[in-house]
Amino acid sequence: MNFTSKKPYYEHLRKKWIAKHRSLANKLFEKHKEVGRQLAVGGLGGLMLLTTPGTGIMPHQNILVAGGQIQKDTDNNILLAKDLEDKIPKEMRALTKEEELEISGIVSKNTGFNVSAELEGKRLNRSYGVIGGEQHLYRFPGDNLHKHADNAADWAMYGSSGIAPGLGAWGYFAPSEVQFDDKAKMQERYYLAVQTFLAPGFAERVAEYRDFFKFRKMLVVNPQTGQSVVAVIGDAGPAEWTGKHLGGSPEVMHFLGLSKGSRKGPVLYFFMDDPEDKIPLGPVKVEENLAQI
Amino acid sequence: MKYFYSKYIIVESLVEEMHTLDLSDDERHHLAALVDSQLHHAILDEILSNLSEKDKELFLDQMNEDPENENIMDFLKGKVDNIEEKIRMISDQLVKELHSDVKEAKRIK
Repeated sequence: MNFTSKKPYYEHLRKKWIAKHRSLANKLFEKHKEVGRQLAVGGLGGLMLLTTPGTGIMPHQNILVAGGQIQKDTDNNILLAKDLEDKIPKEMRALTKEEELEISGIVSKNTGFNVSAELEGKRLNRSYGVIGGEQHLYRFPGDNLHKHADNAADWAMYGSSGIAPGLGAWGYFAPSEVQFDDKAKMQERYYLAVQTFLAPGFAERVAEYRDFFKFRKMLVVNPQTGQSVVAVIGDAGPAEWTGKHLGGSPEVMHFLGLSKGSRKGPVLYFFMDDPEDKIPLGPVKVEENLAQI
Repeated sequence: MKYFYSKYIIVESLVEEMHTLDLSDDERHHLAALVDSQLHHAILDEILSNLSEKDKELFLDQMNEDPENENIMDFLKGKVDNIEEKIRMISDQLVKELHSDVKEAKRIK
């Protein structure tokens, strides 16, 4: 037997599941020959090539597993990155109010969203900082890491990030699993931890600021690539001593292109003016948003 | 990749079992792709087996245009009795099989 991995359990599964996959694919195409062309258009023909990982044989499938977002979003956001190129400070520091105004204007123009560093007279301690990868959060009592996966690709992509031992700053996202809906699901999927406790005025009016920040929608932008994500404030942190200024859920980090290596990097983060809650959470496709204006 | 039927699929027990395997990133992604693709093929077969030729074409046109579009479920509900239950059953059955495969693989030294 010619194993390519030193893990016999993996080789066993790989071979067994490729055989099962072929059998299912053959059955599908044989049984529904009359729509074979449409099945092939949908990419199913390409999936029959699934063999070994990292061989480059299944590029289409790799894109599918990633949700297709990174490549698409990178292409669509390159112009934004170019526009930001000479506006972002070379060193990591807070932006001046003039810089915030100019940069948030560029981001608004490119994305079609109305974003700003200040909203309703409130602002965070900064709008440009280092984001670090956070873990998943418990969404309702009885939640666990594996319930977060909608499919196996989700697990493969985000499962290794783990789940934080404690609750987020606002507690659970839903009081029970029965009451857990799509909105709460998306809020945990695309959450940020920001330093609410360092916001100017926070210490004087804790309750007012807490209510303002709770699930407040923000746009996060990786200025180096233009990759952008709409997210909500789902937690408070990180502590000042970490050297990081905000945190992102595993999904946020993935769609910012910062999920590999040290899982951190410089980002812009601005409040979004969306009083009717119409802007969906998740990765931003610049061209689509502009088309809707 | 999410599909219009994603909410009817529960892979929790399977990924929990897979999570106990020591896998590299490539290996994990590859096995996950095989799981999702097997489920997709099985579910498509179940759906197509319950549609007329004309409806198969309409369904596949919609799916090829936007596989995430949950309106596809509305189309199917109008064509097939208990389609949600059929999708649930076929996916549950396959998830159980794959779960057994993982358990079996873990016994291999």
